[in-house]
Amino acid sequence: MNAQASAAPLIAMEGLGKVYEGASGDVRALAGVGLAIRAGEFVSVVGPSGCGKSTLLRLLAGLEPCEEGRLTLADRPVTGLSADVGVVFQAANLLPWMTVAENVALPLRVGTARRGGDPARIAALLQMAGLGEFAARYPYELSGGMQQRAGICRALARDPAILLMDEPFGALDALTRERMNVELQRIWQQSGKTVLLITHSIAEAIFLADRVVVMSARPGRVLADLPVAIPRPRSFDTIVSHPAYAALAREVRGLLNAEGALE
Amino acid sequence: MNAMPEISPALSAPPAPRRRKAKAVNGSLIAAIGVVVLLAAWDVSVRYLHTPSYILPSPAAVVHALASGLLVSPASPLGYYIPLWSTLRNAALGFMAGAGLGLVLGSLMAESRVVEKLVMPYAFALQSLPKVAIAPLVVIWFGFGDGSKIAIAALLAFFPVLINSFTGLRATEPERIDLMRALSASRFETYRIVKLPSAAPFIFAGLDMAVVYALLGTIVAEFLGAQQGMGVVITQAESVTDVAGVFAALIILGVVGIVLHALVRRIERRVIHWSRRKI
Repeated sequence: MNAQASAAPLIAMEGLGKVYEGASGDVRALAGVGLAIRAGEFVSVVGPSGCGKSTLLRLLAGLEPCEEGRLTLADRPVTGLSADVGVVFQAANLLPWMTVAENVALPLRVGTARRGGDPARIAALLQMAGLGEFAARYPYELSGGMQQRAGICRALARDPAILLMDEPFGALDALTRERMNVELQRIWQQSGKTVLLITHSIAEAIFLADRVVVMSARPGRVLADLPVAIPRPRSFDTIVSHPAYAALAREVRGLLNAEGALE
Repeated sequence: MNAMPEISPALSAPPAPRRRKAKAVNGSLIAAIGVVVLLAAWDVSVRYLHTPSYILPSPAAVVHALASGLLVSPASPLGYYIPLWSTLRNAALGFMAGAGLGLVLGSLMAESRVVEKLVMPYAFALQSLPKVAIAPLVVIWFGFGDGSKIAIAALLAFFPVLINSFTGLRATEPERIDLMRALSASRFETYRIVKLPSAAPFIFAGLDMAVVYALLGTIVAEFLGAQQGMGVVITQAESVTDVAGVFAALIILGVVGIVLHALVRRIERRVIHWSRRKI
């Protein structure tokens, strides 16, 4: 567990639910989700497709209104968008008409953070992500992995306490994905952010997280909240031979299997 | 001139990224062969079928008419330059007014359901009216001077830009809008930074149509009465059954249309530099 993790939860959810109104009736995405995340923790959320993982993240980001249950960030109810939250989207979602540096600096140009820009910080972020030489390039000149690293830099631009990641590496090939996981672990350890990662990959979830939260099929509930007792820094070479890894992977797989996710 | 084409500017999809050089060379070769074949067929049909020149003039007669309009001093009242300048100026002013209004109203419609419901029916009603029928009214309102030419050009340029900018802005990827919302960007910031560039390929497709329509609108207005312009050149040639002169003027207008289209495409490629490669 990260040294910066403290006792009081930074993110707290209680009885959190969400219903979407659809053309052919209402769809319940989440039902009674309870979860507490401490500052500095890295939590992965895995679950079957359509289990409401992304809805959970959208509620946390303030992109969807919280109408059912309680959701607090640092003891304050989430009522809307917060500058203390950075979101990393599925696929990098960079704007193709802006250079990498402009994309990463975008959060400092808009909204409440307007004119709060610190060019040195952007350069440092790009440097940290190994994109220093690509600052003036356009997104189409970058590989998928580099684009997503830029997406992470953008989410960190306002120096938020919380980083929400919605299947950020789903579009990448397996090898790039492993490299990105190692990079993300490094970035997380350097920055001390609280991270909530939504993923489909059991390996990725365990590799990165302090805790793996397994969700049920729709409507999404928390099925299990499993601590990952594997020392850091982790590497893919050593983690697979760690006895806790195999046991944990089997448990998560079993839970998902029971939900019909792995048929 | 007869009916002006009431083409409803179907929404044109954003143009695909340009192909490599080899293909372009091939394309212009095919175009050149097409022109040669067309001219040869034309010449043969006039020469051997003895078509009277008041129905179809020979290519040589048309070239002669073209030369007499082009190979003169730009200040000569007999040349094409003075009427062409007048037509182009009015078309350009009408284009700017029509396209500008189309972009502004299209944007307001895309941003607000209320404005959409309010404006959309009128926009389609206006587009359904045959412009030749309302052109005389416009002349009554704006007079025989430049005003009526600019107004009709604007009327024609308006619709494609309105519909294309509306559709393009609405088609902005929801992920990009989520990004701006997550950054608590203002509505105008989202419009300016994300929606407008996202819609640019659509807007340019509309501008591409609008620029040619503005030219068309100006000529139509000139037919109804004008002191100056290519429409006047055509009506004057028609009044003395100078069919070769009519053909020559139409060729000039065709070339101008191609040049205007190419100009828009060139600006588009400069502005939408990122779409050359798919992201």
